[in-house]
Amino acid sequence: MNNLENMASHKFLEITVDKFIFKVATDRSYSREGLWVLQDGNHIRIGISDFLQQRSGDIAFVEIKPVGSLLTPGDEVTVIETIKVNISLTCPVTGAVVEVNPLLDVNPEVINKDPFGDGWLAVMEAKDWENDRQALLDAQAYFNLMIEQAGQELGK
Amino acid sequence: MEKDLKVIIVACSGIGKSFGTVSREAAYEVTGDIRPDDTQLVALSMLVMGDEKTRVAVAGNPAITIDGCKLGCATKMVQESGGTVTREFAVLEVYRRYKQFKPQGIAKLNRAGQQLASVLAEEIAVVVDEITTSNQGDLRA
Repeated sequence: MNNLENMASHKFLEITVDKFIFKVATDRSYSREGLWVLQDGNHIRIGISDFLQQRSGDIAFVEIKPVGSLLTPGDEVTVIETIKVNISLTCPVTGAVVEVNPLLDVNPEVINKDPFGDGWLAVMEAKDWENDRQALLDAQAYFNLMIEQAGQELGK
Repeated sequence: MEKDLKVIIVACSGIGKSFGTVSREAAYEVTGDIRPDDTQLVALSMLVMGDEKTRVAVAGNPAITIDGCKLGCATKMVQESGGTVTREFAVLEVYRRYKQFKPQGIAKLNRAGQQLASVLAEEIAVVVDEITTSNQGDLRA
């Protein structure tokens, strides 16, 4: 079984902040914005973290760059509209979009229900993974960042 | 003469969110303008407080709930009060079908939010008609 097929069996770091429980899957990397990145060979699957989906609220619409788009880190890869905010997220890797989650057109709330699994956004063919991965956080580092951000949210 | 059967309308009580405001505006439109004779507006806060008169009204009539978010407070409170939710509406689901009506504003909705509330109110009115027609059939049977 490869990494992409194994998404349902990942383990989590977990913390309760106020009334919220936030999870971070340990089998992948993260951008500071809250996109997760799961590498398997030349393919990179991306999605949004549990913390980001909870902080953003119920998702109304998701727009993702279409298959064939060539992106580099910093390029916008998705715009997500929730009941609270519109968020634009930048691509964490260099490469081409080769697959977009077809569920999101008809059932965008799958991101809220299963952000690390069925709610994935897109698969990309990586062009410079060894370089791009240097800018990503491992699960523990993102977990620490998330705790900091959650504390800031709570203090608002 | 006042009708015996009233369809109870319970909206989200969320203050500070546009989607909650849309739910309440739709409820006001149905109960005040479109189907005033067939519906009764019930404040969610009265159910939360356990007001007996409100609880009896909810327990004795079919209810339509309008929730502003996935917490579904309106639906849960009607059920916990002994009522029967005949139909649940979620503002987000209606918005997904009418993307052009993006609600903004809280105390005062923008024009698009008002249009979304009106669309939702019309959908609720259709369900109200189904309930009242069905009930008349039951009474004749």
